[in-house]
Amino acid sequence: MQNVKILEIGTIEILKIFDKKKTSKTRQVLSEVIDNKMDSQKIHCLETLQNFISETDNSENAFYISDIPEVCKEFPCILGIDEAGRGPVLGPMVYGTTFCPINEQMILVKLDCADSKALTEEKRDVIFNNICKESKSIGWAVELISPNYICNSMLSRTKHSLNKVSMDSAVALIKAAANGGVNIEHIFVDTVGPPEKYQDYLKGLFPKFKITVSKKADSIYPIVSAASICAKVTRDHAIKVWKFPEGIDITYKEFGSGYPADPITKNFLKRHSDPVFGFPQLVRFSWSTAVNALEEEAYHVEWEQTEDSKKTPPANNTSITSFFKITSKEKGVQKPVNEFFAQRCLSRNVEL
Amino acid sequence: MATIHIRSGKSNLDCNNRKLSNIQSVPFKIHADCDANVNKYFNNYIKTDEKGQTSASFRGYPLKGKPLGLPEGYVGVVLHESVKPETEKCERKFYVTYKFSKIHYWNWDKAPSDNDSIVQALQWMDIAEALHSPILEE
Repeated sequence: MQNVKILEIGTIEILKIFDKKKTSKTRQVLSEVIDNKMDSQKIHCLETLQNFISETDNSENAFYISDIPEVCKEFPCILGIDEAGRGPVLGPMVYGTTFCPINEQMILVKLDCADSKALTEEKRDVIFNNICKESKSIGWAVELISPNYICNSMLSRTKHSLNKVSMDSAVALIKAAANGGVNIEHIFVDTVGPPEKYQDYLKGLFPKFKITVSKKADSIYPIVSAASICAKVTRDHAIKVWKFPEGIDITYKEFGSGYPADPITKNFLKRHSDPVFGFPQLVRFSWSTAVNALEEEAYHVEWEQTEDSKKTPPANNTSITSFFKITSKEKGVQKPVNEFFAQRCLSRNVEL
Repeated sequence: MATIHIRSGKSNLDCNNRKLSNIQSVPFKIHADCDANVNKYFNNYIKTDEKGQTSASFRGYPLKGKPLGLPEGYVGVVLHESVKPETEKCERKFYVTYKFSKIHYWNWDKAPSDNDSIVQALQWMDIAEALHSPILEE
């Protein structure tokens, strides 16, 4: 939601700063950016995308939206949404969207935005550059959802599932485009879960737009393919420029694909685990691959009891052997601890 | 009850001069007793919001915390016991290894509040002061 607020201010570049708001320098940086030329912060090719990614704090989510083409404000548009990096145990998950006027959608076919899964990495990079070049007709946005955010959500008290994280991101992208002035007519979304439920959910939130949610949408609709390419390219480059705050000095080539079955990834998890902290925050701790690896490589960690288990009183059965023990009389008259102290976990440990 | 001795630093008696330590209380128990790379894996990631509330993560779990100052006139100490007692009645010797004046207290995905035992325990010191300080004749 935070992204949406910024768009209302109207300056896209503030977005990035907003994500960094937790640093105390916010105001300073903000004024610096406004003073400096905003153009320097814009992504108009692969290289500037890499700069953007390496400047963001990789333990937090980051958001970028391109300039909204004038034609997208004027004419009814189609908007596609897809994700990249959902399955891997490493790195961010990226949600992407692209939008263009309905009557200019042939440009997508011209750019080879078809069936992104069938494309090689090099080909995707080329298409991404071309999408950036068509900034007069195509706009796009991506959200990088950090691995830390993903596991924090899944391991929170309320257990925010990956599906919920995904939906929130898709909704944020739609809102960002709508608030940026895109004249949305029809939204196409790729889904991994059951499409009907997801479609109903989005329709409830955006009753004004036509919404199509379908499986394999990225190979059916070129606009979703384009979104998929933006997401995938962003994810790949996020991995490439990953810097470890933990001070681990290795390159992405040593991570592997991030898919749990990849032997390079498996080896990475084995070699770069820390016995106390587990893994660097590149890793999604909530994945069973990571959990299993830690069971072998790291110290066991015990968390506080959940509320339910706390309430069940401890078994208070007197064991049969206790009747044969010699007990001193004084023990029986020990004063119980007052509730005030019990609640505060205070007990008397020293005789005065 | 066994006697407990608390002594100042074992090899370095100048622990008074030592910089105050950064003590953090975490809502989990690590089944190990060893050094840990806290700076790189944990402190690096601590973020503070406008209200002074801090957040961090441990093994993917979200933590929320805040610094708790000790009541005035108190000092915190970290004790080390080199020889574990064989029986409950043994005399025990502890050495002061670190001192601290505040604790960074962490909860799992829950902002620290007056409902937390440690906060309440610290409150007791003020109450004890009021209850047990000698009444001066006016």
